[in-house]
Amino acid sequence: MAGRGKLIAVIGDEDTCTGFLLGGIGELNKNRKPNFLVVEKDTSITEIEETFKSFLVRNDIGIILINQFIAEMIRHAIDAHMQSIPAVLEIPSKEHPYDASKDSILRRAKGMFSAEDFR
Amino acid sequence: MGVSELEESSLLLDEKLLRFMDQLESLEEKRATLNSLIEQGWFSISKARYSMGNKQVSALQYASEIEPLVCVHARTLDNGEVDFSTERAQQKCSKEAGLDAKSVEDIGPQEEGIRRRIRPKKDITEKEASGEASSEKAPEVTPVRKCDQNPQQDPLKWFGILVPQSLKQAQTSFKQVIELSAEIAALQTAVLNTRQELKRSMKDKHAAQENISAAQSDKVAD
Repeated sequence: MAGRGKLIAVIGDEDTCTGFLLGGIGELNKNRKPNFLVVEKDTSITEIEETFKSFLVRNDIGIILINQFIAEMIRHAIDAHMQSIPAVLEIPSKEHPYDASKDSILRRAKGMFSAEDFR
Repeated sequence: MGVSELEESSLLLDEKLLRFMDQLESLEEKRATLNSLIEQGWFSISKARYSMGNKQVSALQYASEIEPLVCVHARTLDNGEVDFSTERAQQKCSKEAGLDAKSVEDIGPQEEGIRRRIRPKKDITEKEASGEASSEKAPEVTPVRKCDQNPQQDPLKWFGILVPQSLKQAQTSFKQVIELSAEIAALQTAVLNTRQELKRSMKDKHAAQENISAAQSDKVAD
């Protein structure tokens, strides 16, 4: 591993994970725990959520990339994450284009202009 | 006094709002670039799959030992923002690419030299003549592994030695995506930070406004 930097984790469909792993972000640590999760049709939401939460508590992960359609499944967990490290980035998937209105960060930013803020 | 304070806070608020808008605009631009790069990457993967076969580019091909070739440095700035910067293990990569090329050529026995299983009689008689001295000699064949198996290899090699150009293109696109995603992550924290600041300034302004109106109503009452 280069230096003391943090890892980039990815939760996504097969092609997304393959692409990012080709880019060189993949890691299997000493406990054989990967920093990626390939979500298939039979992957349960519980498994996705548990993996996401395990990535959040790992202190060697700096950024978590997640397909937006998967993020939708565990939206409550993503909305509950308020820390800046690890940063959660929603990315498009092959079948689901990126929708900015669903993005947690942008929705938070949009909240700026709600009536409540102007009160 | 109160009015000037109010004006000052309003100016500050405007400044922050403009910064917020700039950051959002830049975030949107980067997002668009990221999306198009990812799309390009998928397209290249699909092309590679088409030429290599459906099952040749899948999660099953991932290596059993995976080492990260890129890492991200997170630096918290004074204003609370976090700066993410990626670092690629380039030197190691190029070195190891050379080693990989070697190991590809060295397919075959890992031991050097020829192993003699049956010793000729001549050897035995010589041995007897030299006595114990020769018995202390190191064994003829010393198994030497030329190079340790290198876990930090190029992920392209998981999919074969001669991979199609499209898979290399996919790798290039995703490398760019990784760099861009670090920039976007930094920008996202900046946006959220500015939003917090903006909220705070707005509260301050409202407080100042209330003070002024209270003072004015007191004056009217007097």
